Amino acid sequence: MSYVPGQPVTAVVQRVEIHKLRQGENLILGFSIGGGIDQDPSQNPFSEDKTDKGIYVTRVSEGGPAEIAGLQIGDKIMQVNGWDMTMVTHDQARKRLTKRSEEV
Amino acid sequence: MQDRLHILEDLNMLYIRQMALSLEDTELQRKLDHEIRMREGACKLLAACSQREQALEATKSLLVCNSRILSYMGELQRRKEAQVLRKTGRRPSDSGPPAERSPCRGRVCISDLRIPLMWKDTEYFKNKGDLHRWAVFLLLQLGEHIQDTEMILVDRTLTDISFQNNVLFTEAGPDFELRLELYGACLEEEGALAGAPKRLATKLSSSLGRSSGRRVRASLESASGSGSGPILLPTPAVGGPRYHLLAHTTLTLAAVQDGFRTHDLTLASHEENPAWLPLYGSVCCRLVAQPLCMTQPTASGTLRVQQAGELQDWARVHGVLKGTSLFCYRQPEDADTGEEPLFTIAINKETRVRAGELDQAAGRPLTLSISNRYGEDEVTHTLQTESRGALHSWMEALWQLFFDMSQWKQCCDEIMKIETPAPRKPPQVLAKQGSLYHEMAIEPLDDIAAVTDILAQREGTRLETPPPWLAMFTEQPALPNPCSPALVAPAPARTHPMPWGRPRTFSLDAVPPDHSPGASRSVAPLPQQRSPRSRGLFSKGPPRTWLQSPV
Repeated sequence: MSYVPGQPVTAVVQRVEIHKLRQGENLILGFSIGGGIDQDPSQNPFSEDKTDKGIYVTRVSEGGPAEIAGLQIGDKIMQVNGWDMTMVTHDQARKRLTKRSEEV
Repeated sequence: MQDRLHILEDLNMLYIRQMALSLEDTELQRKLDHEIRMREGACKLLAACSQREQALEATKSLLVCNSRILSYMGELQRRKEAQVLRKTGRRPSDSGPPAERSPCRGRVCISDLRIPLMWKDTEYFKNKGDLHRWAVFLLLQLGEHIQDTEMILVDRTLTDISFQNNVLFTEAGPDFELRLELYGACLEEEGALAGAPKRLATKLSSSLGRSSGRRVRASLESASGSGSGPILLPTPAVGGPRYHLLAHTTLTLAAVQDGFRTHDLTLASHEENPAWLPLYGSVCCRLVAQPLCMTQPTASGTLRVQQAGELQDWARVHGVLKGTSLFCYRQPEDADTGEEPLFTIAINKETRVRAGELDQAAGRPLTLSISNRYGEDEVTHTLQTESRGALHSWMEALWQLFFDMSQWKQCCDEIMKIETPAPRKPPQVLAKQGSLYHEMAIEPLDDIAAVTDILAQREGTRLETPPPWLAMFTEQPALPNPCSPALVAPAPARTHPMPWGRPRTFSLDAVPPDHSPGASRSVAPLPQQRSPRSRGLFSKGPPRTWLQSPV
C-alpha cells in the first residue's frame, strides 16, 4: 500500500492463523521475511510503493505451517498477535515472530 | 567538438538574420536582433563572472534568450509560409468565402504563482546537515512572446515556491495557450569541490551520502560535457550551472477566473536528474483575461432613442458601446469627462437585437431594437440611427460584440482586474544562509572592536553606540551569540575572503563546508564534542541492504 498524503487509503487485511511446527529445538512458521525500517525499501520486489518499509513475506516453504494457513509470498505483514509490524526493524520483526512462548 | 558547435551556432544565427531580412518584417527583425545581442552579452557575462549568483542569472538570461530566439524563428517561418501561400493561392475558389469574423484581442495576466513542494523526511533527518538548494524560475510563453519570472532560491525551509511577479501578455486571442515551464538548477556547495584536485574530488563525491553524491557526480558529469578527459570542476568557464526542465503545464481560456485556482503540473524530471525537486504536482495562480471589447469602446455615435411609452418622442443621445453595455450620454463630451450617462442598456448574451422598420414611423425606417429580459419582463429599447451606413456599422459592432462574447466566454461577464506589473527589481545580492551564525566568527584573540566592525559593516551607519548585549562579549569573546536576530542583512559574503575562522554552529542548518584550519581551537568544549558524536549517529546514511530471514 502506498500512502499519498491527502488521498484516501484502501487496504484489504486478512487474518491468518499459523500453528508453529516443532522442528527439533525450534518452533518454526515456515516462511521468510524481508524488510524493516532499517532496510533499503527499493530492493523489495513485492512492494508497490518502493518507499514502503514494512515487513513482507519473501518465501514460503512448501508444506510448512504458513503455506497450510494460507500465507502467500509477497504478503505484507501488518501485525503479529497484536504486535505492530509496519514500523519495526528487521531484527525486531524476526524476534516478534519467533517468540518461544507463542505457539500460534 | 566545441569549435564545431560554435561554427554551427554562428551559422544558425546568420540564417536567422537572413530570414528576418527577407521577410521584411521590421518589428520581428528588430526583436530578433535584440535577442541575439542579449544572448551574446549573456555568453560573455557568463564567461567573465566569478560569483555563483551572477552565473545563475546569466545562465537564466541565456536560456530565456534562446527560447525567445527559437519562438521568433518559429513565428518567422509561419509568416513566411503564410506569405508564400498567399502569393500562390490566387485561385477563385480560394477567395470565395468572405473574411471570417475574428475575435478581438485581449490582455492576459498571470499573477500570484505558487508551486507547493513536498519534502521527504530524509531531507530533514539523517541528512548529515547537507542543505540542498536549488535556483528555480518560470518561463511563460504565449504565442511567440516569452516572459520569465525572477529567480528564486529554494531549500527545505520553504514549503512552496512563490513568485511575486505579475506577468502580462498583450495581444492574446481567446484561443490562447499559455505554456508554463519550471526550470531549476541544483546548487552544490561549491566550497567542497572548487579548487580540490581531481582525485580528491572523486573521493569526496563518492564518499558523500548516496543521494547528494549521485547529484554531485551527475552535475560534474554534465559540466564536463563528453565525460571523457579531466573532470572539469564547476567553474564558470565551463558554462556554469545547468538548468533542467522540472515541470510544465498549459493554461487556456478555461482556466481563466477572477480568483485563485489550482492546476496540475506535468512533472518532467525524475529523481535521477541532478536538479530534481520534490514538487507536489500542482500550481496555484490567478489567471485573468481582459478582452479589448470590455475595456475599450467599440462603437459610438449619435442615436435617437424612443422614450418609454411615448411613440413619437425621440431623444437625441450619444451612444457608446463598451463592454457589456450601451451607454447613452446627453452629449458626446460627457463620455470623456466621466459624467453619468443618461441611461444604460445592457448588452449581454441574452440580449436580442433586431434591425427593422417601425410600421408606425413614417419616413424613418432606420431603427434598431434591443430587447433584454429581466426576470419576467421584457424591456425593449428602440433606437434610430442617422443613416443607413450608421445603422450598418452599429449592427456590425453589435454582431462583433456578440461574437467576442461567445469566444471569450467568462471573461465578458465582468471586467477582471489586472494590476500593472511593478518594474522588476534588480536581482538582490543573495545571502548564503541569512543567519548571523554563518556570518560572524570571532576569534578569542579578537577584540570587541572586531565585533563592532562586523556589525558596522552589516548595518552601515546604524550602529553608533554599541548595544548593551555587547557587554557579554567582554567576558566570553569566544561565543558568537547573536542576541538580536534582527541584524540579518544580506551581506556580500562571497566577495570578501573571510579574515577569521569559520563559525561553529551545530544545528540542522548546513555547516559551511570550507573550514579553515584555525576554526576549531576557540570552540567551547561541549559543542565540539556534541558535533562529532551527533554526526556519527546520523551519518550512517540510507540503508543499502534488504535482509531476509526465515522465521
